Amino acid sequence: MTVDITRMPILQRAGRRPFPPRVSAFTRPFWDALSDGRLMTTSCARCQRLSFPPKPVCRECWSQDFTWRALEPRGVLYSFTRVHVVPRAFVADGLYDIGIVDLTDGVRLMCRLMGDATQFAPDASVEMMVLTYDDGPLFAARPVASLP
Amino acid sequence: MRTAAILGYGAVPVGIYQRVKDGSDPPLEHELAAKVVLDAVAMAGLGKHDLDGVVVAHPGDHTKQGYFHTFLTAYLGLTSHSTVMQVLGNGMTAGLAFDEGLRLVGTGETDCVVVIAAHYESGTPTADHLDYSIRLTGDVDFQSIFGAVPIAWYAMVARRYMHDFGVTRAQIAEVAVKNRRQAVLNPLAQYRTPITLDDVLAQRMIVEPLGLLEVPGRADGAVALVIVSEERARRSGRPHVLVRSRGFYHEGQHQIADRPVDMTDYQSIRLATTAAMQRAGVTLDDIGSFQVYAPCTIVEVVATESMGLFPRGTGWAAAADGRSAFDGTRPVNTSGGHLSRGHPPEATPLYDVVEACLQVLGRAGDRQVANGRLGMTVSELGNYNAAIAHILEGRP
Repeated sequence: MTVDITRMPILQRAGRRPFPPRVSAFTRPFWDALSDGRLMTTSCARCQRLSFPPKPVCRECWSQDFTWRALEPRGVLYSFTRVHVVPRAFVADGLYDIGIVDLTDGVRLMCRLMGDATQFAPDASVEMMVLTYDDGPLFAARPVASLP
Repeated sequence: MRTAAILGYGAVPVGIYQRVKDGSDPPLEHELAAKVVLDAVAMAGLGKHDLDGVVVAHPGDHTKQGYFHTFLTAYLGLTSHSTVMQVLGNGMTAGLAFDEGLRLVGTGETDCVVVIAAHYESGTPTADHLDYSIRLTGDVDFQSIFGAVPIAWYAMVARRYMHDFGVTRAQIAEVAVKNRRQAVLNPLAQYRTPITLDDVLAQRMIVEPLGLLEVPGRADGAVALVIVSEERARRSGRPHVLVRSRGFYHEGQHQIADRPVDMTDYQSIRLATTAAMQRAGVTLDDIGSFQVYAPCTIVEVVATESMGLFPRGTGWAAAADGRSAFDGTRPVNTSGGHLSRGHPPEATPLYDVVEACLQVLGRAGDRQVANGRLGMTVSELGNYNAAIAHILEGRP
């Protein structure tokens, strides 16, 4: 049996996303793949540069030729914060944690942090995960040490 | 380009103006703006018919009056053959308005222009303001969706800085204490009660590891500058401030790069300030005061290190031992800075220009720096993705 290393754990969350993203014809594959447990992005067909978020134009060489590929959903936490004074849209979430994650594929992103907050530390290993709300998915990261 | 000069300035103390308080009717934004324009024009020894050009720092969404530039021009009965415009550039908004005023005079398009910022926001509850501001400092579809409030980015810089340099929150918080000590001496400052390090550390968390006194408070404000040609300033026989040079750099990112880079090093401020110094033919040692855009304690630390004022990992120590205080060797944010002078974002860079003027003219009173004929101002946008710097020279 082969293990799909690009598959992320999915956590069901009650209610709707607090500040939902828009979906365009171009970004649809990203959000559909996320619902299915994969973190996808675009790779430039000319210079092979990975983008995040996915882009229909390579910011390096401006090529408009790209392919979709799944990112390995692992990396390290570059930094993080707990937000105590929150936007109106996020009040129902109470305090929440966000962080900057450097994926093993060389991509940096920002996302919600889940799991054991005592394990949050610069350079801590994290894995990406999917939060599935009533109206669609969000991506998140959690410390590898907090795996069940 | 010919050299432009600041011949007059006017400012109200930073504070809470928009929020309705019991028993008082708050002033409207254009009432404050009109007052500071008249103060600046009076200081310049000019009258309304001398002005030809109005550059306004674009007010945020919480200033009720829209198209503020043309409204204010009409409110003051001004006309112009050069321009009437608003300038927008994130935290750099008023820095770019200043820059545009300098350019209008520098190119000879006009000989006398007024640059105005009136920032009103305190009437909007913080949670509602954050619904608006998360759309500014992040990709709305891939970052704002997680609730990244503007100062959350700086908080993450702080956490990383602490890790990389083995520095504590308390050490970084020394910046808040140092800046409050300076604000105590500044009549334009919002917060003038002395504080201790214990006071700073005892406050509730806002974005960990930063608490209430390590981040900017809510604030309103209004500032105006009258900018004329150097020749006209000299002819006036009045004290004035020459703007010797500018520098700018945008690193091509919005908040964070999409690949790993060192977030505790702001390359944009280094490149912008280096360009300004090269153009003016001066070095850091020639400059007596530095007004640096720094909404949080950590930002002053990283920005001043990045521009070469202090070695990396030691910017906090400069606050702790007084080197970055007005009576130190590298005076930074002598007004009290964003944390204590106050931070009405769209007006803040003009408040910093006023502080630079006071210092280079020798009018800063009890917080006057030594050898202060030259001063530098810096403003930025986003997570210091860009910076603009100006070097000012006093002609008292």
